[in-house]
Amino acid sequence: MCGIVGLHLKTPRLHDRLGELLSTMLEAMTTRGPDSAGIAVFDDTARPTMRLFKDVGSPREICERYGVPRLSGHQGVGHTRMATESAVSTEHSHPFAPSDDLALVHNGTFSNYATVRRALLREGVEFATDNDSEVAARYIAQQRAGGADLDEALRMVLKTFDGFYTLVVVTEEQFAVVRDSFACKPMVIAETEDYAAVGSEYHALAGLPGIADAEVYEPGPEEVYTWSR
Amino acid sequence: MEPVVLDCSTLSTREINSVLAELPDGSRARIVEPWGRHNLGVGLTNRIDIEIAGNAGYFIGGLGDGPRVTVDGFVGWSVAENLMSGTVRVRGNASECAAASAHGGTVIIEGDASSRAAISLKGGTVLVGGDVGHMSGFMAQAGTILIGGDAGAALGDSLYETVIYVAGRITSLGSDARVEELTADDVLQVKQLVALAGFDHVDPENVTRVASARELYNFDALKDKGY
Repeated sequence: MCGIVGLHLKTPRLHDRLGELLSTMLEAMTTRGPDSAGIAVFDDTARPTMRLFKDVGSPREICERYGVPRLSGHQGVGHTRMATESAVSTEHSHPFAPSDDLALVHNGTFSNYATVRRALLREGVEFATDNDSEVAARYIAQQRAGGADLDEALRMVLKTFDGFYTLVVVTEEQFAVVRDSFACKPMVIAETEDYAAVGSEYHALAGLPGIADAEVYEPGPEEVYTWSR
Repeated sequence: MEPVVLDCSTLSTREINSVLAELPDGSRARIVEPWGRHNLGVGLTNRIDIEIAGNAGYFIGGLGDGPRVTVDGFVGWSVAENLMSGTVRVRGNASECAAASAHGGTVIIEGDASSRAAISLKGGTVLVGGDVGHMSGFMAQAGTILIGGDAGAALGDSLYETVIYVAGRITSLGSDARVEELTADDVLQVKQLVALAGFDHVDPENVTRVASARELYNFDALKDKGY
């Protein structure tokens, strides 16, 4: 079990609160992942820069340690980890960022990741860990390097990867969610005029401004949901 | 009698459930500010009325053996899981695995239910006003499911003896599930279920009956008995 959260802000009015809102969302997911946590935030400049923080410990401690509540930006993702596939370490924690313009968080386990990893290794892709989620992150980065947009890259994930997964992937401009064909790892989306917010459980979203009037729904299996700046 | 008001913003789930468990039969309780709180009203055996004023989390009313729970909002995964008796009514939508393994009682979802609704149902009655997601009724053993809207893929996969009635379209049937002729008894039962749930939009004479083809499991446990 892991917890994932993400926030794509449509209004610049909330940019200053991105870190604060994401920290609160992440902390609500502590019960789903007490081992380690991490967050990736894109600022709101013309060519957004990603800042990534991850560490071992509780989400609250990690957010405080790195000053996450004070970060501003236009979108970000966070992850609380309960390790299943590999060691509890900072390197094995999410988000995985194979490049400086892409971050991925994953709830679930890939069952064929070793096969995909070998195929990527043969093509010259280098890995930092033996973690299954890193394979998906580098696979998506490779698809994008080959010309695919994020939506297309995630459709390729659906074709290539076997296992259980809910993924949230962010790039400089895009924010995307996808679930496997069984959809047995949870995800709730809340959307208003001001933001699209996602969380493994609804209570992670309960502190967002205007949540009472948000459209709240569950992403369906094998569907790619994207938002663009 | 005024309801006992329990506020999730000041009380832990354990504190709320402890108060509920101690209420005498016939009492009323109102749970406010739930904001996705899990496990509200679980494991209760008293005959009380509980209203949850807002959106709640996982396992609402689970393991219940008596109470009548109403949620004025939506709920997360596994509402009324393993229900034994009593009623759980959700005025909004329910997430995955609604009424999983319910042995008895009635679960009413006025909106949609997500995937795996009534999975492994063991005797409960599950009434969904809207649509249900994929693999609903998976391995359901006993009890009845009524779907007022459409059913997602693989409905009733590996069904045992649960009967499913669907008012809308069925994306696909799962293994060993088949459509059967609707009998007068079926129509009568659906009429009663529709009245119980208050689903005015369902015409009892225009539902599809889905049941097990009985080819995936050994139906007669005694048929090979040689002694």
